[in-house]
Parts: sequence; C-alpha cells; structure tokens
Amino acid sequence: MLKYVLLSAVMFAIGAYGALARRNLLIILMSIEVMLNGANIALVAFARQHGAVEVPGHVFVLMVMAVAAAEVGIGLALIIALFRSRRTVDTTELTEPQG
Amino acid sequence: MKALFEDLAADPAFCVCALVAIAGALTVVTRRNPVYSALGLMAAFVSFAVIFVKLSATFLAAIHVLVYTGAILVLFLFVIMLLNLQEKELGREPRRVAKTVAALLALALFGLIGFAVFSEKPLHEPVPGILDARLESKGDVPAMSVSAQADPAGDTADWGGVRHVGMAIFTKWAFPFELVSALIIVAILGAVVLAKKKLPPGP
Repeated sequence: MLKYVLLSAVMFAIGAYGALARRNLLIILMSIEVMLNGANIALVAFARQHGAVEVPGHVFVLMVMAVAAAEVGIGLALIIALFRSRRTVDTTELTEPQG
Repeated sequence: MKALFEDLAADPAFCVCALVAIAGALTVVTRRNPVYSALGLMAAFVSFAVIFVKLSATFLAAIHVLVYTGAILVLFLFVIMLLNLQEKELGREPRRVAKTVAALLALALFGLIGFAVFSEKPLHEPVPGILDARLESKGDVPAMSVSAQADPAGDTADWGGVRHVGMAIFTKWAFPFELVSALIIVAILGAVVLAKKKLPPGP
C-alpha cells in the first residue's frame, strides 16, 4: 500500500520538475499529464484499500481523466494557434501579449 | 521502511512497472525532442495501466489505455508532427541554475508528501482504513472495509470491473458524469474555435 503512494509521490514530483524546468510548451503539457497520472495512482490505491461498494475513487479517476483530456485538447489548440502567429513554442519568447 | 523493502522484494511485478513508469516520466522531462518525450509518456501510461490491473481496477485500466494512450497521446503526436518544429524553433534549454531550483522544489514537494506518509502522528485524525505502513496485512493491501464484505455476491463480485463501476457511475454518480460530458462538449467547441484556420475571404 505504501509503495503505491510513494510511486504516486515520485510521479508527481517528476511531473512538477518537468512543468517548472522546461521551456517547450508541449513538454510542459506532457509533464502536467504525468502529474495527473500520479494522482490517479494514489486515488486507485486508496479506493482499493477502502473497498467501498460505490467506488468513488474510480469514478473520481474517470473525472480526472476527462478533465485531463479536455485540458490537453484545449491546450494543444492554444499551442497551435500560438505557433501559427509567432512561430515559437518557447515560453521565454512568449512573454509579451500581442494583438 | 524495512516493511516497505520487504513488500517490494515480494512483488517483482510492481517493481518492474514502477521502474518503467519512472523511466518514462524521466524521459518526458529531460528529452529535448518532444517526440521522445511523447514515447516516454506512452511507456509510463502503459505501466500505469498494468498497475491499475494489479489494484483490481480493470475497467480503469482499459479506459486508461483507450483514453490516455489511444487518444491523448495520439493527439499530442499529431500536434507535434503538425507543428514540425525545426531545431531553432525548439527553444533554448533553461540555465543550470533554473533547473537546479526546479529540481530542489520537486524534491521538496516529494519530501512533503513523504513526510505526511511516514510521520508517526498523522496530520489529521486517521479514518478507518487510512494508509499505515505498519498495519498488518495479508498480502498486498489491507483487508477491505466492512461495507464491501457485507455484500459478498451481487455487485461487488466484480469489484472494479466494468459492471461494478458502470453501476456506480449511472446510479450514485450520475450527476458528475453528466457534468463531465458537458465539460467535454465545451472543450471540443473551444478547441475547434481556437485552432480554426482563418481562411481568406472567398471570391
């Protein structure tokens, strides 16, 4: 049981490092996905331990998956629109808002 | 801690999955080429699905592979190929100082979670069934709570499977389910509007 929570914490920390230390917008989005998956593992492990009949843990994981899918869809659409107008996905060059 | 290592030594399947997941996540955050990151992410997703099966969340494992690996990752790869980033558009890598600070922050985050997990006195009152490394458990996970044992046949015969989670979604959690479908519709509309190419006006 402890190993699942520790794996979730490690995943979350690695995802946090990726979201903080990288400049490429696509890789930042992927690191956020890693973080969300870390949270999913913790949720499923705790749901297994609790053993409720209506599995709120699993349903919450489905919500997290749906939110992650929606966020990735909109994030990638934003990246495409941004890339079309400025030809870069480097966050240090995307500092000033334009038109 | 010793119980943790004994637990890991008795469970090679989990060790392999965890190592693949960590290797995949490290590939995501260190590679410069986003395609390599996406492939590392795929390895991590597949190992997560195996861990879900191990935790008897079979429905979630199938949905994980379908949604994350089959849709989200494919969408990522499509966009990466569509953008077709050249070397100069990939962006500079952050300086050593920034990476060190980010690594320290990530370690602090992990330390915070580890502290909450390992501390002798929990931060809040422990509820029954809460995680405790020193709990006696037969096998992998401590015994299920009373509510599951009170219904030996019936819905929980297939705990975590399609039928069980489906019953839960469409009876008790029907309202969040409908809200999520509304959220997905909004996300689809938003993505279509944002990524639409503005064509020049016709003749």
